[in-house]
Amino acid sequence: MSSVAVGMLSGVLMGIVFGFALEKSRVFEPGMIVGQMQLRNWIMLKVFLTAVATGAVVLAFLNGFGFVKLQPKAALYAADVVGGLILGAGIALAGACPGTTLAQIGVGYRDAIFTLFGGLAGAVAFSYAQPWLARSLIGTGPKLLFTDLAGMAYWQGAVALAAVIVVILALIERARPWRKDLGADVDGDFAESAQPSHRLAPAE
Amino acid sequence: MSPFDKAWSPYAAGILIGLLQIPAFLLIETALGASSSYVTVGAAIAGLVDPSLLRIDYVARHVAENAKNLWQVALVIGIALGAFASMKLSGAVRAPVSPIWAKALGSSSPRLRYAVAFVAGFLMLFGARIADGCTSGHGLSGMAQLSVGSTVAVVAMFAGGIATASLLLRRI
Repeated sequence: MSSVAVGMLSGVLMGIVFGFALEKSRVFEPGMIVGQMQLRNWIMLKVFLTAVATGAVVLAFLNGFGFVKLQPKAALYAADVVGGLILGAGIALAGACPGTTLAQIGVGYRDAIFTLFGGLAGAVAFSYAQPWLARSLIGTGPKLLFTDLAGMAYWQGAVALAAVIVVILALIERARPWRKDLGADVDGDFAESAQPSHRLAPAE
Repeated sequence: MSPFDKAWSPYAAGILIGLLQIPAFLLIETALGASSSYVTVGAAIAGLVDPSLLRIDYVARHVAENAKNLWQVALVIGIALGAFASMKLSGAVRAPVSPIWAKALGSSSPRLRYAVAFVAGFLMLFGARIADGCTSGHGLSGMAQLSVGSTVAVVAMFAGGIATASLLLRRI
């Protein structure tokens, strides 16, 4: 098989696993993402930090034993801050991020189709503006890792990051168990559970 | 953790997503990401109308039919398929628009929601492309690699998201 065919086949298979995990964790629900940004639902941060910690451990092994090179992006501080703020505003209003938009389309949320088309339009608008933005805002920068600043090996820093994340997650989980954040229909919507329900017997 | 469950623990799902870095790095020599695929697809379509767009270096790099670009397009298509399969296996049923939007927007008009979603998608990708990554590329992959720039981008992302959700949206 050509490398392009391998890429597309592995992409679809990895995407199916990704989409399955996004749906099962409910993190792709607008109620979870808006809820996280309103600091009242913590499922998004839990999935996100768990995936970061897992990725860090995996890469500590793969990179530490020399199987793979790291692929970090350049540190472009002005672009990271300006772009990150605009992206964050979009995530809150979409109730999705660029990847989870596709998961929302997969489960039949109609508004996500508009998010997708808006996203394609935004990507095209950026493409036209890119030569000018590259000179005026984005510029160039080094591929800088925190372990470079600390003078450590990457794998040491990655294992330390994973350990710190495990502690943070344990503290968040103790303050707010994940089952409490699922909502009435596991979509992060608490409307029905907040109203007195006559169909359900009291829990105690 | 059965495929028929409606919800898994966020930790189980997070571990599964994190493990996807293994095939990404070993097979494609790249990290997980999603937002570049919008340039690959969007610019390929826009290029049919305006071929001069394809002469911009940035665009040419993204529409090149190489393994990395097409892998990411296939990845986001797979995300839709995987979410669909998971929903069907668990028997979850959804309204065409999530019920939280009527509260967050203060209106149950689908047209208002569609307009907000389009603008939101535009901002999301315009911002992600300025920052050179999204929640996946900067968030999952950049932070796992201890990238300084990605960590700055993720902090800005959450700052922008929290400010917008607090100031522009009603409490859900």
